[in-house]
Amino acid sequence: MASKGDPVYQIFSFHDCKTSPDPIFDLPAQCQTPVPAPVPIVIDNGSFQTRAGWAAPAAEFESPRLLFRSVAARSRGAARSETQIGNDIPNLEPLRWLLKSQFDRNVVVNFEIQELIFDYVFTHLGITSEGSVAHPIVLTEAPCNPLHCRQMMSELLFECYRVPYVSYGVDSLYSFYHNNAQRNLQPPHTGIVLSSGYHCSHILPVINGRLDAVNCKRVNVAGSQAASYLQRLLQLKYPGHLAAITLSRVEELLHEHSYTAVDYQEELEKWRSPEFYEREVHRMQLPFSGKVPGGCVSVEERHERRAQQLRRLQEINARRREEKLLQDQERLDRLMAVQELLEDGLLDQFHKSLVELNMDSAEELQSYINKLQLAVEQGRQRLLLSDGAEGKAEVSELEQPMDEGDGVALMDPDFPEDTLPEKPANVVQPVFNLAEYHQLFVGTERLRCPEILFQPSPTGEDQMGLMETLQFVLARYTPEQQEALVSNVFLTGGNMQYPGMKERVEKELLAMRPFQSHFKVTMASRPALDAWYGARDWALEHLPTEGGAVAEGWISRQDYEEKGGEYLSEHCASNVFIPIKIAKPVPARPTEPSVAPLTSNGASAAVTTVT
Amino acid sequence: MASQIPITVRAPPAAASSAALRGKKRPGSPAVCAAPPANGSSNSGKKKKGQPTATQTTQAQITAVEAVAEVKAVGTADSAATATTESTAKPPPFKDPTFMHSGIGGAAAGKKNRTWKNLKQILALERTLPWKLNDPNYYNIDALPSLKPTKKYSDISGLPANYTDPQTKLRFTSSEEFSYIRLLPTDVVTGYLALRKATCIVP
Repeated sequence: MASKGDPVYQIFSFHDCKTSPDPIFDLPAQCQTPVPAPVPIVIDNGSFQTRAGWAAPAAEFESPRLLFRSVAARSRGAARSETQIGNDIPNLEPLRWLLKSQFDRNVVVNFEIQELIFDYVFTHLGITSEGSVAHPIVLTEAPCNPLHCRQMMSELLFECYRVPYVSYGVDSLYSFYHNNAQRNLQPPHTGIVLSSGYHCSHILPVINGRLDAVNCKRVNVAGSQAASYLQRLLQLKYPGHLAAITLSRVEELLHEHSYTAVDYQEELEKWRSPEFYEREVHRMQLPFSGKVPGGCVSVEERHERRAQQLRRLQEINARRREEKLLQDQERLDRLMAVQELLEDGLLDQFHKSLVELNMDSAEELQSYINKLQLAVEQGRQRLLLSDGAEGKAEVSELEQPMDEGDGVALMDPDFPEDTLPEKPANVVQPVFNLAEYHQLFVGTERLRCPEILFQPSPTGEDQMGLMETLQFVLARYTPEQQEALVSNVFLTGGNMQYPGMKERVEKELLAMRPFQSHFKVTMASRPALDAWYGARDWALEHLPTEGGAVAEGWISRQDYEEKGGEYLSEHCASNVFIPIKIAKPVPARPTEPSVAPLTSNGASAAVTTVT
Repeated sequence: MASQIPITVRAPPAAASSAALRGKKRPGSPAVCAAPPANGSSNSGKKKKGQPTATQTTQAQITAVEAVAEVKAVGTADSAATATTESTAKPPPFKDPTFMHSGIGGAAAGKKNRTWKNLKQILALERTLPWKLNDPNYYNIDALPSLKPTKKYSDISGLPANYTDPQTKLRFTSSEEFSYIRLLPTDVVTGYLALRKATCIVP
């Protein structure tokens, strides 16, 4: 087919950004004075990124001071002390196996690492006060956070850091209120929040300013699942570049080269055509590695090598056996000759030869002869058997499947046949394009990975996708409530930043809603950061007052001690609190080691004995 | 790069005497680290693998950042021994030095309870609490399995797949894809099936 002019190839390279360490900020002057009220610290504790900053009205505090990945690199043993957190790690990839996060899915479970993260945050914000952090803390938590986790978090904040007040809220709801305020909608707000983070995506209906937690739903597909799916797809397509396809590069691919199709089936049909493929495929140029193709050992090659080694061993053994047989035979002949001497009656010679052979009597000679005869017999039999077996083994080894192919493997069926293959098979190609060998062709993967949010089935998840869950949630309301909810559909979260996401949600909503009904979909202005901004706005509006009435939404030290760590003070952006008391596992104080085992046993028995 | 930020970096915080610090032992302390001494030479030697900030411009910034970055109380005797070669190890001042997490079982629980509960265990414990029927909690709000039949997509190209290879059970859309599938080594085939969670069909 004639191509008009030069084909335009989109070749990109990986940025592989390195983070630089955060500076330790000075404590701002207005944050030092506890009068009129201490300035709250707002921490958006996300499973991907932690954002922290002050909640002060001045312009310099408008954006979060700290933004870092919520990971700590801890190695074992002697190097345990050199823990690096967040932006102290310039490149995550060399330390990938040491990285630990305090999160399990979107819930904090490891409070040691959470303590490290808090230390990092407070140190870098410039706090040097002795014995306590004298600022109220606004912290985000997961929707319907388990009580145990909240208890542990409250314990950490109140007992370790001696914080005066703590407020917990859901990050997507903070984002919702921030954007509603920006659009000048009057509270109380009603709407439905679709939030997609790093580990989970949520559907949160908000009615009259409060989260309707009974009807919330969570889909366990989000950014990290898309990243690992894309990584596996590329690694299976390019087994030679297994090590070069790192999670950081894959995340870069998702952030910069992926998009959501408005109509998935239609978009896939477009990708069938070779011209579209050529234009739209993103060729990611990997750095030159010097590794020749064919260096990768496939399973068949390993089998072949093992079979060869076995054959060699067998040959050696057979040769050794033959030699031993010959030796035995010779010795037997000599002994037989000596025995004949005896029979012939040449006693002197017989005795002389016995002495040479180091034997004492004729009986010993006889026994030696018998033993040797047995050995020779066995050796001969084994030779016969092994000859037969070797013949069979050789035949079976030849039959071993060695389907290496012709050396030309078509990468993509849509690719026209006259172009060079991007991935040569294990047999080395004599002439091929070195640059193309080091390119990753990211075609339909750009489309498939964000799609798993709507159709989780390619990854094996059998949960409903985001829009199907939305339909399920809406069906639990009356039609009037549905109208109210759907008139303010709000998209937020880092995973919602693919181009085309808003149009896709609008199109699917149009398909679900009754004919000619109205709905409105808005995307957050800064989907990843808006949770922090919303929490800051909330904190500025609801400052806890000193002494006396505490503003709604804050948990004071007294509340913590009276009502337990799992207590939550509800507010417009928080979870719903179900007052169930859970027993607190008693920590073993270092001063009373004898008492601790008893009390901890009692506490654990009270909690439960679930196997 | 850090010099562009017009923020004054503090001098290393005044450290209490090392002897007094080592008296405040925290066996459960998560980060055990010793701050480097003020002199630069042993700084770069010791901290080269730990701190990537060696590339920064000013030496003062290096010492300041490194001194405060991970500074904790010295917990175990081993790290106390190594800390003697370096200088003071100081916990951040805003913490309670005798705090211990209750969730980890405490030192008295012995070797058994050293790990944190993971989410599955926490949820199992939560299930046993006296929830009422409609109360929302973490596992209640999990989305249901899908009610719609799944669409089949090709494992190789992602286009809608109408055919399945009986030998490898991979899905494909065209004959070129089929020939490509037939040339794949077995580990790649297993990889594609594992991606779809379709391996090991129990007969």
